[in-house]
Amino acid sequence: MSRLQLITKGIIKENPTFVLILGMCPTLGVTSSAINGMGMGVATMAVLIMSNMVISMIKNIVPDKVRIPVFIVVIASFVTIIEMLMKAYVPSLYASLGVFIPLIVVNCIILGRAEAFASKNGVIDSALDGVGIGLGFTLSLTAIGAVREILGAGSIFGYTFAADVMPLLFILAPGGFFVLGYLMVMFNKIAKR
Amino acid sequence: MVETNISREVIQGFATGTISVEAITLFAVVIGAIFVNNVVLSQFLGICPFLGVSSKVNTSLGMGMAVTFVMALSAVVTWSLQTFVLVPFGIEYMQTIVFILVIASLVQMVEIVLKKVSPSLYQALGIFLPLITTNCAVLGVAIISVQKDFDLLTSVIYSVSIAIGFALALVLFAGIRERLEVEDVPQGMRGVPIALITAGLLAMAFMGFANVVPLP
Amino acid sequence: MKSTLKNMVLVLFGITAIAALLVGLVNDITKNTIAQTEQRNKDLAKLEVLPEFEGEPQLEEKSRKIGDFNINVTIVKAQDQLVGYAVEAPSITSNGYGDRIYLMVGFVEQEGKAVINGVKVISQKETPGLGANMTNEGNNLERSVVGKDAAELKFAVKKKGGSFDALAGATISSSAYANAIETAYAGYLWAKGELPSAENATSGATKSTQESETNDESEAQKGDLSNE
Repeated sequence: MSRLQLITKGIIKENPTFVLILGMCPTLGVTSSAINGMGMGVATMAVLIMSNMVISMIKNIVPDKVRIPVFIVVIASFVTIIEMLMKAYVPSLYASLGVFIPLIVVNCIILGRAEAFASKNGVIDSALDGVGIGLGFTLSLTAIGAVREILGAGSIFGYTFAADVMPLLFILAPGGFFVLGYLMVMFNKIAKR
Repeated sequence: MVETNISREVIQGFATGTISVEAITLFAVVIGAIFVNNVVLSQFLGICPFLGVSSKVNTSLGMGMAVTFVMALSAVVTWSLQTFVLVPFGIEYMQTIVFILVIASLVQMVEIVLKKVSPSLYQALGIFLPLITTNCAVLGVAIISVQKDFDLLTSVIYSVSIAIGFALALVLFAGIRERLEVEDVPQGMRGVPIALITAGLLAMAFMGFANVVPLP
Repeated sequence: MKSTLKNMVLVLFGITAIAALLVGLVNDITKNTIAQTEQRNKDLAKLEVLPEFEGEPQLEEKSRKIGDFNINVTIVKAQDQLVGYAVEAPSITSNGYGDRIYLMVGFVEQEGKAVINGVKVISQKETPGLGANMTNEGNNLERSVVGKDAAELKFAVKKKGGSFDALAGATISSSAYANAIETAYAGYLWAKGELPSAENATSGATKSTQESETNDESEAQKGDLSNE
């Protein structure tokens, strides 16, 4: 697989949300608006790239049986560090993303990529894999968030065009399941062509 | 003096410097965690096993029991660590790392102990245990319990109730999916998409519990 | 790599130690900056909720501790003229969906009335897209209070007989917001030494509203269909 493919595969062929079906909890939990989906996607991508790189570096010294706990520690540390750095140096960004950051730890995409890719490949490839999968995740989350925001709140990226007339259901829990389900059908239909 | 609509509690708060917030009953905690704020259907935690394991009622029950067991244990351990280690040493920022490590090792330990002590129980729950490490509900609930300042008993009861809610959602969902398998689902909808839409309907049904008890 | 007990313990311990060290280091580096940023944001919010004025502000701080909460009242003057009161207050008797809601509320005095000039959310952990909309400019909650005489507000959502337009699907968050405004107003009166005593609050003409409002607070906890 060429390096360019590593970056682009996450968008369609190995889209983490619609094809690999990973990281469903944040996918459903934070996509009540487009900007929130995007924020979660970008924050996850940052953690994913770094954890992929570190795990790829240490893969040869980690015994198999403690592999998972070690990966988890690496991921949790990065999440904590990123949270503190954002709080200190980009407080406005932290204010809008703050609640999502700890949720990144429980995102199975990151552990999944550590297991499936970073623990078998080189540092640069692992970083590119992080970029690709992170990009796919960001795009999917933004799309789901946009659809839910349009249908549920009558706005897009915060610009309201039809306030108080749209069914709020789409922002609530059931709407998350419905939108994800239908988008998945559409995605598979388009991707198969 | 101005006429105001400020409530007595707030004024007394200013007068005495203390405020008494009505304690939430354990009953409300239990009902709230199982039905009102169902972990899967309203808090979106533990979706992966929810979609992955829930195709048969039997396996769903097994998974539910395994999760209940681990959550109860992890509630005790994480609560103790938070109260006796993290807070006294002022290292609350290590919470995420410590908790996830505790849960991961707890799951491994439960697996080893169960294998030695009760092979029959191990046979029933064993295959589900490794899956629990990646169940975000376990970490999520440990962190929520700390955020809500629960005491040990409430924390354990809350965690077990959350796990029962998880098991309930899983079993209900598996029941529906067993029926779905014999139905003629449109080609593109088969598999995960129809499962998600079913889950959406189930979530709508659970919204009916919204006004039952005050939330913890 | 093959697992032996020795290398398992060694690697796990080593990695955890390095991780803990790194996290601790970053915490040390960022701790002061975070505290400074938070303080600066609060200072900015104080001025943002009050009308514009000329000259250097003179600040006088008063603080009341209730249980674990601090209500901070800042009396802002410029050129010896009172600009207004900026009160930082949490929702002391009503929890939001995620956590307590902290607001900065600006009061200005017009014809002897305490008019709310502006509100800024200092911290909240409500659900994005629902309760978290309280941070948006010109949201329902903000519109229900800005420019109003605080003495006439009823601190509950409209559905429960109050004066607050709830955010769509977020009754609990909205009730907590109302409670934070209530606390801020009480803090303002407290700073001026005009807070009515508890007996006064339940006597006379206001009695009926008081009773219904006390009920409202327990009701408000139940939330509506959204659980929020």
